[in-house]
Amino acid sequence: MSSTGGLAQFQQVFIEESLEGLDTMESSLLALDDGGDGELVHTIFRAAHSIKGGAATFGFPEMASFTHEAESLLDEVRGGKRAIDKPIVELLLRSVDCLRGMFDRARAGQPLNDATSDDVRGELAAMMGRAAPAAAVQGRRAGDQAEAWIIRFHPHAGMLAGGNDPLRLIRELAGLGELAVEADLSRLPALAKLDPSECHMGWSIELKAPVRREDIKAVFDWVEDECDLAIEPKPSAVVTPAAPPAPANIAEAAARGTREANADSGSVRVSIDKIDGMINLVGELVITQAMLDTFREEFDPSRLALLQHGLTQLARHARELQESVMGIRMLPIASVFNRFPRLVRDLSQKLGKQVKLELHGEQTELDKTVLEKIGDPMVHLVRNAIDHGLETPQKRRAAGKSDMGTLKLDAYHRGGNIVVEVSDDGAGLNRGAIVGKAIERGLIRSGEGLSDEAVGELIFQPGFSTAEVTTDLSGRGVGMDVVRRNVSDLGGTVTIRSKPGQGSVFTITLPLTLAIIDGLTAAVGQERYIVPLVSIVESVQLKPEALKTVVGGGELFRFRGEYLPVLRLHELFGCDGAKRAIEDGLVIVVEGDGSRVGLFVDGLVGQQQAVVKSLETNYRRVQGVSGATILADGSVALITDIAGLVRLHGRRKAA
Amino acid sequence: MAKILAVDDSASMRGMVAYTLRGAGHEVTEAENGQLALDAANGAAFDLVLADVNMPVMDGISMVRELRTRPSYKGVPILMLTTESHTDKKMEGKAAGATGWLVKPFDPEQLLATVKRVLG
Amino acid sequence: MGSKREHSAPAAVEIGLPADCRMAAQAALLAELLGALDAPATQLDGSAVERVDTAALQLLTLFRREALSRGCAVSWRGASTTLCEAAETLGLIKALDLPAAVPA
Repeated sequence: MSSTGGLAQFQQVFIEESLEGLDTMESSLLALDDGGDGELVHTIFRAAHSIKGGAATFGFPEMASFTHEAESLLDEVRGGKRAIDKPIVELLLRSVDCLRGMFDRARAGQPLNDATSDDVRGELAAMMGRAAPAAAVQGRRAGDQAEAWIIRFHPHAGMLAGGNDPLRLIRELAGLGELAVEADLSRLPALAKLDPSECHMGWSIELKAPVRREDIKAVFDWVEDECDLAIEPKPSAVVTPAAPPAPANIAEAAARGTREANADSGSVRVSIDKIDGMINLVGELVITQAMLDTFREEFDPSRLALLQHGLTQLARHARELQESVMGIRMLPIASVFNRFPRLVRDLSQKLGKQVKLELHGEQTELDKTVLEKIGDPMVHLVRNAIDHGLETPQKRRAAGKSDMGTLKLDAYHRGGNIVVEVSDDGAGLNRGAIVGKAIERGLIRSGEGLSDEAVGELIFQPGFSTAEVTTDLSGRGVGMDVVRRNVSDLGGTVTIRSKPGQGSVFTITLPLTLAIIDGLTAAVGQERYIVPLVSIVESVQLKPEALKTVVGGGELFRFRGEYLPVLRLHELFGCDGAKRAIEDGLVIVVEGDGSRVGLFVDGLVGQQQAVVKSLETNYRRVQGVSGATILADGSVALITDIAGLVRLHGRRKAA
Repeated sequence: MAKILAVDDSASMRGMVAYTLRGAGHEVTEAENGQLALDAANGAAFDLVLADVNMPVMDGISMVRELRTRPSYKGVPILMLTTESHTDKKMEGKAAGATGWLVKPFDPEQLLATVKRVLG
Repeated sequence: MGSKREHSAPAAVEIGLPADCRMAAQAALLAELLGALDAPATQLDGSAVERVDTAALQLLTLFRREALSRGCAVSWRGASTTLCEAAETLGLIKALDLPAAVPA
């Protein structure tokens, strides 16, 4: 095809929907493997079929031909010619992987086929009991030719209702050459008995043009079985056939499709409902604005109540509009969850464990950016749970549990946050092993008096690993510290709860969106800083004697039985005119990266939602600052990056 | 120009069809599956319906069958967009009441030519 | 499409064809034409016809044939080019007694 002009956009849409289709194929194949019903085969077939059709249309003939093989296999299964079994599911799963690879390469503008796809394609063909076919080149046979033709055409009664109108067909014939049309009215019934949607006429048509029989047949291609048709050369008008035309090589034509650069434009597909909702809100907003506009003309104090009402409405519409605009970026977490059935299946097979995966809250929506970045940490947690958390069937039986372990992924809203949980009913954290390792690593001196919570925290420390044997699954030098780092980059937190013998729950708490944060505005000299609400534990006022100065100049204070460092924001960011005496200001206790620190500020100004503007985009990355926002008075406030500040402090301490 | 109903669960295919037809001046309504197409057909008289065969919720063949039971859709051209090169699928569509078919892959020119052909 | 019929003495009936004279319009047209079979003369007005199909022309052809066989007169008050062209394409110009569409 020629992807001229605006058509290229649909190529991108095609890739996106095909990737979704592949996800569907994969999850259905897995369900089928678990003994799912026959409807799944249809679902899988449909997905493959759509990809095949689109691939050819949008200029990916290699993909079309690959999918054709898979589809043929599926068609045999669907038609009951072949029973579905493990090897077929396995091969189809690998085909799904191959196609994903092909789409990746399509996006990168690379050749679509590679050794793996060639192999799998060969295997598909072999399973069908034949060699992979070369692109079929079908030449058309030349038809008879004549100087003129007589066409006898009698439609069956139902042809008209089916949308094929002889009027159109005969007009089309007229496009081939001059016609002499004679209607046969001999079969017309009585008017009273006529069903007007039925055809009772016939035609005898002379076509006075030297065309091929095929050209005439092509006019009637849709109605072959809906009419009696005879096409005969007009007597004494036969000529010898001309040379056959060059075969139309469809594959070659399709291959000519230009492949536009497929840079991931990072588009979002938005449901019509969401857009309609916004349009409604904008409508309301306009109405309110018009109402408020009347105060511009004349302001009468008696109408104060009306003004207040208008402003309240304006605030509500603005908030709702904000929510719906944010909603555009929100997508269900299902797309991330759907990766896991395959992963869990492969991993558990490899490790000889039996794992049942339960998914809950797949429809919970997350910001697209968060969604794209939450996958890796979750993969790590899931791997970890299967590798370290869940026991082998033997061990489970010995512990009095069923052979089959359960791994649960759950997503839900809590307050203004999204909570994602990865839980297992495995052995739970091995307190002894963790403490032992932590001592060995010099993270702690002894495990005495450590709460379970504190022991759980240890596994998030850099370089920590408790696996007795480093497997190729989890032991890739990537630890829980990276999980925590990834999550905290998204403005979230990750914690663990664990009970020996009963399992572990990893809880990831994420902000609803990265575009807006709830924060406290703190004053430091003339500057204003936003401290994300999610990080704040408490604000305290300290007496001078509560502050301990330690060697190296650090300041500590006691908070809930723990000594926390004080970070003076005015020092960190170099603000003039800030309060210096600890009793004059306020210490905000914040938590980030699993550590708590106190931020010393002049005082709190208020709580507000801040629209995050990227510093990186507008200026450059600044340590300890995650972005900026514009306050109601038009001035700029920086948004503190708590995890960054904690790390900054750690580095200064180490220096 | 004609009022056309384009039915396909694939947003790319539907988009391509609608874009092409709109470019030729037609008024196009889009539907994601057979059921939504039937709903759309309730409220409007279309001159032509283009429908995919394989769709979730309601496939194209059931849609045609249902559409043809409505007096206002007798005789209205309905084309199946199909990748099925097997005649049985085409015939199944025809038996249900389809006018004809357009075999995928097709390019915008082929689409327009076929639409022009069927609209006369 | 208003048919004017008088009760006492059946007089000439005039039937106007709709602009969209395709299949969906024909149940109504058929009823009207069946009524007109009792009239001594029927005048058809096809000047408004913008869209027409084989089903319509078949119906009109059949009506004319049946009316004539009963000794009733059928005449055209007017016929659009679209209507005439369609009749010509289908070879029904004579059967319908329409003027062949001559390109203006």
